[in-house]
Amino acid sequence: MAEHVAVVDLGYGDAGKGTVVDALCGRGPVRAVLRFNGGAQAAHNVVTDDGRHHTFSQFGSGTFRGVPTHLTRFMIVDPLALAAEAAALGNPFDLLTVDGDALLATPWHRAANRRRERSDRHGSCGMGVGETVAYALSSTEAPRVADVRSPARLRRRLAMVRDAYGFADLPLDDVVDAFTAFGKAVRIVPGSFTDRLLREGPCVFEGAQGVLLDEWRGWHPHTTWSTTTFDNVAELCPSFRRLGVVRTFTTRHGAGPFVTADPALDLPEAHNGHGEWQGAFRAGHFDAVAHRYAVEVCGGVDELAVTHLDAPGRAPGLRICTSYRDTDRIVPGPPRDLAYQATLTAALTRATPAELHRPDNWAEAIGALLRVPVTLESYGPRAADKRFVPAGVHRPERIPPVAYCPV
Amino acid sequence: MGSGRWSTDVYAAAEHYRAATGQSAFAYSDSGARRVHAALDPRDVFMRECRDSDEHPASTPIVVMFDVTGSMRHVPRVLQAELPQLLGRLTQQGRVTDPQIMFGAIGDATCDRVPLQVGQFESDNRMDEDLSRIVLEGGGGGGKRESYELAMYFLARHVVTDSMVQRQKKGFLFLIGDEMPYQQVKPDEVGAVIGDDLRQPIPTREILAELRRKFEVFFILPTAASHGGDRQVLRTWRDLLGQNVLELDDLADICETIARQVASSDDEPRRPQLSLTARRW
Repeated sequence: MAEHVAVVDLGYGDAGKGTVVDALCGRGPVRAVLRFNGGAQAAHNVVTDDGRHHTFSQFGSGTFRGVPTHLTRFMIVDPLALAAEAAALGNPFDLLTVDGDALLATPWHRAANRRRERSDRHGSCGMGVGETVAYALSSTEAPRVADVRSPARLRRRLAMVRDAYGFADLPLDDVVDAFTAFGKAVRIVPGSFTDRLLREGPCVFEGAQGVLLDEWRGWHPHTTWSTTTFDNVAELCPSFRRLGVVRTFTTRHGAGPFVTADPALDLPEAHNGHGEWQGAFRAGHFDAVAHRYAVEVCGGVDELAVTHLDAPGRAPGLRICTSYRDTDRIVPGPPRDLAYQATLTAALTRATPAELHRPDNWAEAIGALLRVPVTLESYGPRAADKRFVPAGVHRPERIPPVAYCPV
Repeated sequence: MGSGRWSTDVYAAAEHYRAATGQSAFAYSDSGARRVHAALDPRDVFMRECRDSDEHPASTPIVVMFDVTGSMRHVPRVLQAELPQLLGRLTQQGRVTDPQIMFGAIGDATCDRVPLQVGQFESDNRMDEDLSRIVLEGGGGGGKRESYELAMYFLARHVVTDSMVQRQKKGFLFLIGDEMPYQQVKPDEVGAVIGDDLRQPIPTREILAELRRKFEVFFILPTAASHGGDRQVLRTWRDLLGQNVLELDDLADICETIARQVASSDDEPRRPQLSLTARRW
């Protein structure tokens, strides 16, 4: 792999970016995995061939393979969640660099997020990522990663966050203390570090969430405060291959329209469950209409990874939806037009699937429907369950048995 | 969409990070040491040398000595965390030739067990080892005075620099503290701490004059220390050092502040910078 690759989920998240990034890191030398959106709410499951499982959140999904992670300035860094994740991984801080300009999520942002979610269900994860972004838009003094090295500034900025939200139960000193400890453990680097990584070797950009949740392109307001398309990558890197990830079925965790949802489908989920802040995990038929929209708003996708190719065999009722009752295309609106996105949301809430069919060859059918060559097929959670398909759509000779790993 | 799987407990996080980063930066001090580390003991030292070498043909001596008494509160620990970046900052500026850095610490000879600690001039990360061996006295006497003059005496009489010997260029000394020096260098303290046989006291102003033949001397007062912004302290140091007295609001800027002074002193007539944030006093 000589080129940089950006991995983006073309659905509502949970398609398997982690496992795809892990597979890419296993294929050839990768200089680093770069995170370019979202924050600690990401949950990317990787299962090694020998059965080791980790839900990657802020560390990149190449960590098991010793590939360094760089958190770019687009990340919302949560030092508290990072501590726990690092401990679970054996503290591989030598593999981690963080851009000093990245925003810091604080316990007060999280508390505010949860308070808001209680009164108005929106579908967020309760990690305060959106709240952190909202706060940063309203204040030039939003705490950033580099502040943890300046105790006076850190304290001032954290106090401002605390005062802005009016939560007084958590002592400021303790948060300053924890954030300062974070600053001693991680390597904080300037923005130019990204360029250095990109010069030094092929990098993998690991997206979080999915394009259908994008802050500008998703079904407003059931979106994330994060750019989930390739837009941030394009700001960091002049040239890269766009790899879209989809499952053989569509899932959604959290509130919002989901046209092809079908509670009758029996598709147990190894690593996703009912989240306290997100609600139930919903599954449905492959929504080609919505995924085509995702490809379109991404400005095109160079290649496709199709995951969960083992699922159709287990779910005889699983189908592909190629059109809704009143349309077969969701028309993208002008950029950054939330009013337009809200009308899409209203239309999709009413929409119902028209055509459902069951293909013989799922990877081939999905590639053809999205008009993107499938270069990676995944039949299970481990790297060994992946097939790179350089020539496009090909079914592997032998499909390995289903091997879900208990969490 | 993903979910928050990892604990976000603030206390657990702090504990994790501390465990992950291992021992405290002041390992020697935090291990309970209350005596000066042999490597930093000024007693019976003939000379601390800052020499030119093939690798570093035009050495620039830079001494950073900070007050480690209780009034400095958390300042020494923050300095300890920030100062290892000093060499990088100096080289990055590109205007200082072959910087060699020596760290030291100042206490109170009237009552402390460790009134003076002096490392070696180093041009690599061995200087960090010196930093980690510094004992944080944490005591100090009352009366807003510490033994800065004892440190000045040592640096004036027990440091030799090729910079001065070969090229008649002064080195740089940065004293970081929040109190005043005693008014004279006392023979009994010199004898006990350094081992010199001094016949009579030397007024602080005189030892400073002697020191300034070798070093451009600065005093940095961090506002985060107990006597940060103290007018009497500032007046006293301004009286001694004129405009070379700096107030520092943000300790994270310590390396930047030192690097800037060194760089701006190097070629053009120096415009002393009073404060990073134009404070009035």
